[in-house]
Amino acid sequence: MPLLKVIDLKKVYTTRFGGHPVQALANVSFTVEQGEFVAVMGESGAGKTTLLNIIAGFDKPTSGDVLLNGKSIVSIDEKEMSAFRRDNLGFVFQDFNLLDTFSIKDNILLPLVLAGQSYREMNERLMPIAKKLRITDILEKFPYEVSGGQKQRTAIARALITKPKLVLADEPTGALDSHASSDLLRLFNQINAEGQTILMVTHSVRNACHAQRVLFIKDGEVFHQLYKASLSNEEMYQKISDTLTLIATGGVRNE
Amino acid sequence: MKLAVNNLIKNAKTYIPYLLTCIGAIIMFYNMRFLAVAKDIGALSDSETLRTILALAAGVIAVFSVIFLFYTNSFLIKRRKKEFGLFNVLGMEKKHVARIMVWETIITAALSLGAGLLGGILLSKLMILLLFRIIAFEVTFGFEIPVSAVVYTAALFCGIFLMIIVYDVFQVMRSKPIELLQAGSVGEKEPKANWLLAAIGAASLGSAYYIALTTESPLAALPLFFVAVILAIIGTYFLFTAGSIALLKMLRKNKTYYYQAKHFIPISGMIYRMKQHAAGLANICTLSTAVIIMLSTTISMYVGMEDLLRTRYPRNIVVTASSVSDEEARKLDAAIEKEIEAANIDPKNTIRYRSMSFVTLQDGAGFTVNRSANYLGSNVAFVTLITADDYNRMEGKSVSLAGDEALLYTVQGDIPGDTISFNGFRLSIKERLSTWGTDSKMSSIVAKSYCLVVDNTDTLWQVSNSLEPDRGDIDGLSYYYGFDVHGDKDVQVSLVGALRQAAKEVNPNSYVEGAESARDSFFSLYGGLFFIGIFLGLLFIMATVLIIYYKQIAEGYDDRARFEIMQKVGMSRDEVKQTIKSQVLSVFFLPLVMAIIHIAFAFKVITKLLEVLNLTNVRLYAGCTAATILVFAVFYVMVYALTARTYYSIVS
Repeated sequence: MPLLKVIDLKKVYTTRFGGHPVQALANVSFTVEQGEFVAVMGESGAGKTTLLNIIAGFDKPTSGDVLLNGKSIVSIDEKEMSAFRRDNLGFVFQDFNLLDTFSIKDNILLPLVLAGQSYREMNERLMPIAKKLRITDILEKFPYEVSGGQKQRTAIARALITKPKLVLADEPTGALDSHASSDLLRLFNQINAEGQTILMVTHSVRNACHAQRVLFIKDGEVFHQLYKASLSNEEMYQKISDTLTLIATGGVRNE
Repeated sequence: MKLAVNNLIKNAKTYIPYLLTCIGAIIMFYNMRFLAVAKDIGALSDSETLRTILALAAGVIAVFSVIFLFYTNSFLIKRRKKEFGLFNVLGMEKKHVARIMVWETIITAALSLGAGLLGGILLSKLMILLLFRIIAFEVTFGFEIPVSAVVYTAALFCGIFLMIIVYDVFQVMRSKPIELLQAGSVGEKEPKANWLLAAIGAASLGSAYYIALTTESPLAALPLFFVAVILAIIGTYFLFTAGSIALLKMLRKNKTYYYQAKHFIPISGMIYRMKQHAAGLANICTLSTAVIIMLSTTISMYVGMEDLLRTRYPRNIVVTASSVSDEEARKLDAAIEKEIEAANIDPKNTIRYRSMSFVTLQDGAGFTVNRSANYLGSNVAFVTLITADDYNRMEGKSVSLAGDEALLYTVQGDIPGDTISFNGFRLSIKERLSTWGTDSKMSSIVAKSYCLVVDNTDTLWQVSNSLEPDRGDIDGLSYYYGFDVHGDKDVQVSLVGALRQAAKEVNPNSYVEGAESARDSFFSLYGGLFFIGIFLGLLFIMATVLIIYYKQIAEGYDDRARFEIMQKVGMSRDEVKQTIKSQVLSVFFLPLVMAIIHIAFAFKVITKLLEVLNLTNVRLYAGCTAATILVFAVFYVMVYALTARTYYSIVS
């Protein structure tokens, strides 16, 4: 059984004053296996973020279903959703989404506190993760005192601390410089090698070529997918670029 | 200019309350000035006192308006810095931004002065009716618009707006566009816990409470009260700013307590919130305390006016005179009885006695007189001596005393032992009396006070000679003749006039007081105070409401992003709501709770102060305080509900 199964997802936004309905997702289906690192690519407006929001349970689809470990996310109601999200999903956002009133440590512990864990348990989980993400010495600092890369590593630590089944990343390097970006992606690869399933939305080719598989979305549909298999990052980069060029020039599906 | 108008409309949510405040302040100030010069008030018997009070109140409003309008304005400017930054980036020079600001302020000034003066003039008739109703004075018809009040008001508020313009322009000029754009989104430093300030705050509040609780003498209470008030304000301010953060940090150090869902977010949130809002909360607390104290005292004085009159005038009509010889006393008696008969009224509860009074310094059972001593101390004691004859007549008893014996009635204070020494002259206490004829309290009791009965006038003189051997200006005793009459006001007033004349003929040092004749001036004084109490209470409540409203909005904008993140990380909507509620509630009701604690501690010293003002009915004051707190709390909760709704709509 795949870890994540997206079935015939469709999302139509209707504007309030009877304007034209906008179709964000037309018909999206794909699966993600346990332990995979999948990137979703597409141009702005292709429906990447809508897709991620639906998988995360922030938004409901017009039709279709999303199964995580065989359980439908779509049918969970708002009250259970937050607990479900807390226990099963980890998030890494483009703009970090750290709380400026909490120290780095408290930001990481937030999901555990919300889940009602004991402080001893929290500390036991925190230390190995902080070490892996190299943020042990900034734990007592506050978000405004640390660099962008450190902030994003904090966000990853927060996403991982609940031992989620799936980590969702939305343009995780969008606010980072190139050095911090490649550092972060290496971290993703490392985490993934340890068995963590990751689904990342991005429009950066450099990011996507770190993934094992890249899905391309165009006009609300899965247009194409590429497997990295044994390709090097450079070869993968080339293949992705080619595909993007094809999409941009409006070419037909490349079989 | 067009841009300025658009800006004002766009910022309606924050701007309308500001405009309303300006209008409100103008209306209030105009009305106070109006009442201070209104012609109708000239018809009052005690108009000058009232006018002075009203003018003073206008002054308070003026000072308050300056502080308060500045406060709200600076809040608005802070909110809008981003907008100015945008103008700047879009190619507008600071000069132009400043020009927009000036226009905005001019429009605000014009709108609020226009509406405020118009509203003030329309309301002025209502105000004067209300005032006259409160001070129980006949209402006259007519309408006036005193030019001086209009001019004063216009001048004051033009001045305030001018200062605001200067301040705003200065703010814009000083700022850099990048800062303007980023203002509000800059990561804020975590506030440091300042233990020293917290300790100072706790110490000064503690000493304020100590003073309030330990002050016994009402005369000493007055200056000490102000010391206590200032200490309490300092203490409140420091405790809110430094103490709260220190406390929260202490809670955060306790790991098992802190890392629980219901404490985790509120504590960390409050640490930041306190930094921004502590001063505002301290202000709210101080204002609330002031409002409640002002309203409760003025209301209880107004409501307790009859009590007050009775305390001040134990009998409806009282004739007193000093240095009255036996001969004169007989003549006075006769003259008074003659006038009573002429007025054809039936006197009741007549009290007649002659006495000797001393202001002494008490040390245990010893009394001395020292003219150069400080008479504000707690050892000051009033001693009144009367003869057994007068006592027997007054109480209908037949007590006989030996030359060195005395009966003691303690009004306030305590004399240990069985012997009293008046600078060496000793009297043994034969009996301690539990009642005293004139009244349980002969007049407003502001210090220790004792009444003694001795056998005859010779003993009185012995006491006098012993206490004040070199005092040669008295050749007689004090004279007191008081009685109640039941008759309408005119009869009583005319009787007082007749008595005054008759008594003066006998003894030029005589005074005749009538409760009825004093009633008018009592009403105009306490009624005026009551009126102003309500008026200023309203003003302060308005200020409190506005501070709270702005606080909620500011917090709402700050918290919106925060709660969005929390929802993404796995907090349900209900949990978010719960957290918001507990956080807002504690911030909101902290000042009110603190204010109530202040009042509880101040209660004793205020009752002492009210005694100076002849109000001895503690229960009445307690009731008024409770009622005021209740009404205030209801008002507060309403404001909370209203603003909390605005807050929710911003956050979600």
